[in-house]
Amino acid sequence: MANPIKNLQRTAADYRQMDAKDRKRFWTDGILNNALYIIMAIFIIYTAFANENFLKIGSITNILSQVAAYLPIALGIGGCIVLTGTDLSAGRVVGLTAAISVALQQVGDRRILSFLPSYPGWAGILIALVAVIVVGGLIGLVNGFFVAKYKLHPFIVTLATQLITYGLIVIFFMTNGNNGQPLSGLSPEYNNFITGKLITFDKASLPMYVLYAVIFIIIMWFIWNKTTFGKNMFAVGSNAEAANVSGVNVFKTTMLVHTLAGVMYGLTGFIEGSRIGSITTSTGLNYECDAIAACVIGGVSFVGGTGKISGIVLGVFILRIIFVALTMLGIDPAMQNIIKGAIILIACSLDMRKYLVRK
Amino acid sequence: MKKIIALLLALVLVFSLAACAGDTAKDTTTDNNTTTDDAATTDDTTTDDAATDDAATDDTAAASDLNVGVFYYTYDDVYISSVRAALDEAWAAAGITYTNNDCKNDQATQNDLISTAVTNGCNLLVVNLVNSGSAEAAQKVVELAGDVPVVFFNRAVEGEGQEGTVLGAYENVCFIGTDAPEAGHLQGQMIGEYLLANYDTVDLNGDGVISYAMFKGQEGNAEAEYRTQFGVEDADAVLTEAGKPALEYFDANNTAKYQVDQSGAWSTQAALDYMSTNLSQFNEANGNMIELVICNNDGMAEGVVKALNAAGYNNADGGTTIPVFGVDATDSAKTLIADGKMTGTVKQDAEGMASAICSVVTSLGQGTAMADSVAAAAATDAEKFSVAEGVDTKLYVAYAPYTA
Repeated sequence: MANPIKNLQRTAADYRQMDAKDRKRFWTDGILNNALYIIMAIFIIYTAFANENFLKIGSITNILSQVAAYLPIALGIGGCIVLTGTDLSAGRVVGLTAAISVALQQVGDRRILSFLPSYPGWAGILIALVAVIVVGGLIGLVNGFFVAKYKLHPFIVTLATQLITYGLIVIFFMTNGNNGQPLSGLSPEYNNFITGKLITFDKASLPMYVLYAVIFIIIMWFIWNKTTFGKNMFAVGSNAEAANVSGVNVFKTTMLVHTLAGVMYGLTGFIEGSRIGSITTSTGLNYECDAIAACVIGGVSFVGGTGKISGIVLGVFILRIIFVALTMLGIDPAMQNIIKGAIILIACSLDMRKYLVRK
Repeated sequence: MKKIIALLLALVLVFSLAACAGDTAKDTTTDNNTTTDDAATTDDTTTDDAATDDAATDDTAAASDLNVGVFYYTYDDVYISSVRAALDEAWAAAGITYTNNDCKNDQATQNDLISTAVTNGCNLLVVNLVNSGSAEAAQKVVELAGDVPVVFFNRAVEGEGQEGTVLGAYENVCFIGTDAPEAGHLQGQMIGEYLLANYDTVDLNGDGVISYAMFKGQEGNAEAEYRTQFGVEDADAVLTEAGKPALEYFDANNTAKYQVDQSGAWSTQAALDYMSTNLSQFNEANGNMIELVICNNDGMAEGVVKALNAAGYNNADGGTTIPVFGVDATDSAKTLIADGKMTGTVKQDAEGMASAICSVVTSLGQGTAMADSVAAAAATDAEKFSVAEGVDTKLYVAYAPYTA
């Protein structure tokens, strides 16, 4: 790691040697490349002035909690985007795994899986955790297999699995006389495990799933940056043929990236199960849109082979800050969509601009 | 190796199809073909003639000729799912051949499914219109149906100021549903009465005014609009009559005076995200706590309760409870109400709706005229059903307040 202070000194030294034209370009490039952050900073400052509650501790814990809830799915989908692909099945997988997780941990007389014996709450957590990882992983494996084996575009493969997963969700909700009713009535252990208080400040508190999100960030950062699999993923994403020639197993890497993504969706479902508390067939609908948008805003490029975990975290933050700030400012819902769309458009354009300049 | 994989894949496909078929046979006790899965579209109706005739001899002779296409606006809606379950049972009991369709919350999909069903020999349509309250959409459906009678249900076919443009203009059309504004009116009255009985407990900061939050399920949906409007207006009417000030929206900056699920899905998660954001700035510490929450449906009410739980409210542990009101009376909302975590909801009668539809369809199958069929269905339970004033082809299924 380069010393940041020395880096700054070097930039300053370079800057002193530039002529007027270069200096002008230095500033415009600097502003354009960081435009998103500058816009966000202005946006946050404006919101904070317009509504003093925005930067209070209660609001900050609320933003952190929402970021933590929407982060795991984005971490999963990021890998697919690095491979120049995408994953449209993500949201429905979250819905299915959330339903499974809740179904396995219902208490009382309204259990959908009433034929199962009753077991203690901690056992339910373990069983559900294994179940969501297996189910999510399996769907991811199917995605990965068809992408890697038949060289189908992930858009098509995951569109198909999205439909299949939705069908499974509807069947699951109609089973055992449930007739499509929401699944709720969770064991207190499950609720404590996910939404129990992690830290309490004054009147506000952070739920447990913030901790899990942090753990997921660390694990995914490690996988992306410190393992052979991670390096292979970027190699395949930049140029699959070159990676193949250099001895990277493209088939295995693609399968694993999608499986890992599926596991992350499963874990998202596990958290959403308790966070939302009442799961319906529409749970998870369009979650992938926000996740993909967050990745792209955070600089995970559809061009492939580029992206950082820190970028994804930032992307999720930006989307959630937009949501919370616009809600707090009481802005018209239609305008909220326009602002969100504009920000995604700007982010993608800036991202491509960097890429085009490099070319 | 490749051949083995291909073979295995083919086997998996066959087994999954077989599994679906097995499931279906279990669901319906008669031998009519029903499809409960997502792919229920066009080519999956095959009528076992002999079996239908058997069933028909037990019931009515005319029922055997019926081939009913049922078009649900989406399989994602909790209330509609209970109507679907109740209707499936009712069809089976009456020995009527039917095919279920999932219109995926898209009017274009619904129109495509309907025209396909009509060309496929469907002779009666039961339609849960996607674009609720749009007379144009309903007219389009009737045109697609041609000579085939259409029974609309649940979602309004005529918006405000369009009365008669569908039901009055076509002969073979009727509507079975709820009087859209009624749920809002009932909810508003229930809230007003609850507040009068518990005014000082609800008014947490003691300023004499109740501040409320409103969660709307979908922009531009007739039911959602009415509930959003009357849920507050009727409560205000009750309050002002008793000399109390009207309700006040909690956030003075929000001129719309509601927060809406932008995906239009009336979802629990949207209400949860909004409510936790609201609670981060509107709370007892700031003296501006939201003192009442009104939701367009129970799904959103559950999300609100979840957000309140996280902030230490509505835990039914002797602490403060913020009154939360919904509509639908889903099973999970009833449980919340029984636990004291939610205050009230308005019951939509899924079984009643299903029995009214089945009764109208059966008499239509016997050759009875549309208006007479509707009147006959209304007569089966005068408490629950009523024919709309001035429109003899409009049948209302009553709502009922539910608080315990």
